[in-house]
Amino acid sequence: MSSNLENNDKILKIFSTVRCMNRDQLPRYLDGRLTDLEKHLLEQHLVDCDLCFDALQTLSQAKYREQYQPLSVSISQYIRNSIRKVSTTQKVERYQRLEQKKESFLIYFWVVAALALTAGGVYLVQQQNKLKTLNPPQPIAAAEKVPEPITASQRQPVAAPPTETASAPATQAAVTAAVIPPAPVADSLRHRPAATVVPAVKKDTLKAAPATPKPAPVKDSAKKTPPASEAKEEKSTLQPAKETPAPVAEKVEKKETPPPPKKEKDDDDNKKADAQPTGTDEFLYKAAMVYHQQGDLNEAISRYKHLTDSKSKYGELSRYQLAVCYRSKGQTGKARRMFKEVVRMNGPMKEKAQSALDSL
Amino acid sequence: MEPFRFSYVNIGNTMLQQLTNLSDKDLISRARKLKDQEAEGVLLERYSHLMVAVCLPYLNTAPGRSADDLFPALLQRLSNSLKTQTIHKVNEWIHYNVKAIQDKSDRNLPFFSTTESREIQQVENRIEHAAMNQKEQQQLIAQMNVVISQLPAEEKHFLTQFYLEQQPLAQLAGSKKYSIDKTRQILKNAKQHMASILMKQTYEQ
Repeated sequence: MSSNLENNDKILKIFSTVRCMNRDQLPRYLDGRLTDLEKHLLEQHLVDCDLCFDALQTLSQAKYREQYQPLSVSISQYIRNSIRKVSTTQKVERYQRLEQKKESFLIYFWVVAALALTAGGVYLVQQQNKLKTLNPPQPIAAAEKVPEPITASQRQPVAAPPTETASAPATQAAVTAAVIPPAPVADSLRHRPAATVVPAVKKDTLKAAPATPKPAPVKDSAKKTPPASEAKEEKSTLQPAKETPAPVAEKVEKKETPPPPKKEKDDDDNKKADAQPTGTDEFLYKAAMVYHQQGDLNEAISRYKHLTDSKSKYGELSRYQLAVCYRSKGQTGKARRMFKEVVRMNGPMKEKAQSALDSL
Repeated sequence: MEPFRFSYVNIGNTMLQQLTNLSDKDLISRARKLKDQEAEGVLLERYSHLMVAVCLPYLNTAPGRSADDLFPALLQRLSNSLKTQTIHKVNEWIHYNVKAIQDKSDRNLPFFSTTESREIQQVENRIEHAAMNQKEQQQLIAQMNVVISQLPAEEKHFLTQFYLEQQPLAQLAGSKKYSIDKTRQILKNAKQHMASILMKQTYEQ
């Protein structure tokens, strides 16, 4: 049984791999100086290997055997010598390549670092410029100026009530006069050397300004209306506010906002009995418009909201603008409600509000 | 006594010692992938004595052909061939190139191992693989026993006497009054026959 198993294992030897004869084994095989096992293994290999078998056949002849030994040594030496030469040169080349790689890596590193620094610097400068452009000093200054005229104009109601209470017709005349003459506006513009940019729309806003009672006393309010000097004072207080919405006004037209002069004309025609628009409302409205044009809708809305309770024309206008703000914010419900309120007010903005309502 | 000096030659020697322990397959892959000329040199040196022995008759018979011309040319040819050709068995590859350089008409034909050689090699690989798995080894032994029984009587006799009974080649040849070369040829044919049957069975499974 055990011999059968051994035989079974031996059958695998038919295809076992044996290496070629080495430099030592070849003469030993020829001389018969091998063990039985070693000899059998080599013979197993000889069955397959033509190279070893041919070598053995050749070396079995004495004349070749003499030549074999020196030639074998010399070819081995030849190969080793060529390896050494190659390996030395290879190592020198490898070392040089490594050094070159290191140098090139350092160069790349510094180039990349320099590029990154310059890019960072440029980016910072651009950011600074962007910040400057986003926060222009002029509108802010204008917005900051608003409270001053308000405080100044707040005096007006104190001084104005007597005029209103004393003579309603006089005030009406003053209002109508404020609409009619362009000349005083021009005068007022002349008086302002500080006004840098005065677009055409600004004239409208100036026309809309209620603080032009100057012609009123000239025409028919000799009895009771405040003197021209007072009116001039009022103008002077209003002037900065008139300047502020100047860059805004053009944009207002683009945004379908109602042009103030027409409304004012209508207001003046239709609402003679209405309360005269005060300077506070005007300044608030203009300040709100500034914020509106700057895109600060929340601030504009809060400012417009202050004006919604106003009984003057700015009440209606501010509601309309409020609706526009809500619409641009995407709050269509609120915008619709506001437009409806404007329509209900049955004022000069009714048609525009209705059309806006229809388009919503 | 001179102190030990560190040099490239010493590094080369240690490298050579490490490389001589590698198999032919590893040396070929190093020579190809890493372009390691030392590995290539070690491989060629391993077979150099056989090259010399095989070339000796040619050097003595061919007119105007010296060892100084022949061996560098042969080594260069082998070096070029090593980088381009698929080599399963180095001894076959060297034998082919030695014969090709001696017979100039076949010089430009590349080396391709024969179908028989590939079949034998596949069976050898299979047996090596089965050495790790007892069950697979037993299956293979059973299969080989069946195949041996299918072989012609002479081939069967030579195979069993040589591989299983471990009879020396000369004794086996003497018992049949054949030459060693003929005995070897019978064993070789029997082995190839067996390998082809085994591979055919493998493909049919």
